[in-house]
Amino acid sequence: MQTQELKQGINDSIPIVLGYLPLGFAFGVLATDVGMSIVQATMMSVLCFTGAGQYIAIGVLQAGGAVFTIILANVLVNLRYLLFSTSLVPYLKGHVPTATGSILSYGLTDETYAVAMNRYQQHAPTASYMAGLNLSSHTGWIASTLLGAILGSYIGDTDRLGLGFTLPAMYICLLVLMIRNKPDVIVALSSAFICLLIGYLMPATMANMFNIIIATIAAASLGVFISERK
Amino acid sequence: MSGNSIWIMIIGVSLVSLLPRILPVAMFSRYEFPEPVKRWLSFVAPAVLGALTAISVLAPEGEINISIQNKYIWAFIPTLLVAIKTRSLFYSLLVGIVTMALLYNFM
Repeated sequence: MQTQELKQGINDSIPIVLGYLPLGFAFGVLATDVGMSIVQATMMSVLCFTGAGQYIAIGVLQAGGAVFTIILANVLVNLRYLLFSTSLVPYLKGHVPTATGSILSYGLTDETYAVAMNRYQQHAPTASYMAGLNLSSHTGWIASTLLGAILGSYIGDTDRLGLGFTLPAMYICLLVLMIRNKPDVIVALSSAFICLLIGYLMPATMANMFNIIIATIAAASLGVFISERK
Repeated sequence: MSGNSIWIMIIGVSLVSLLPRILPVAMFSRYEFPEPVKRWLSFVAPAVLGALTAISVLAPEGEINISIQNKYIWAFIPTLLVAIKTRSLFYSLLVGIVTMALLYNFM
């Protein structure tokens, strides 16, 4: 265990945790609203750690839908992690043992992926860094869910604090940091455009985030194409 | 829905959110990707961040909202400028959150 790396991971998770607070809190409130117990709501955040998927579960429960529908929707929502996880493999190889790496990959989310990728551009990954980043992000998610499930009925609007912009602000900054050359800019912009276009044409993909998967595949392929032509 | 089926739902969702994350790392770690595939994978991160930024700013409530009423677009501008200028996550978050709080309370 490398303490310095662990600390760095925990440190880098702070903006993520900040962004998760209102989201996890809201999930806790909504989950108890649709009839889940405090234990169930919290355990769902312990076992699942999939914000969008958990919100979908609430939506389907509220509409009286079936368990099968929830699980199927979650297959779609979580499919993008196949892509993220695969793209991490070349970085982790030789630095993080396979078993440790795959266990810690459970803490892979859009946010931890973006932060970790940003770090790995300059520093070799370590299990300690992964543990610090992923486990504290997950802990933040669980704690805010528990808080929401318990206190939900007492607290009003958290939007007024501007916390709703934490994650967008983080994406914006990480995107800026991630851009190294012209192909990166073209890839990011075309991915943004394709993603919105698909979401506009097929609104259902906005909910299950399938548009992110299609946009990523298309834009990354475009990136290979333009970087080969040079 | 009964307590039991909620637990079944939780376990089911857990499995389908766990497997896509751990399987690639578990299976591909010994496998050496060919060079073009590696290059393709290196573009995944900028592509994902481009898509996430677009959705979180232009569809903050889950539906595409490109209008002057969308506060996220207004908060996007100073945040982007500060991110480019300082390249600091801390200052970007600070400016983004403060701008958003001001927009919420005074717009």
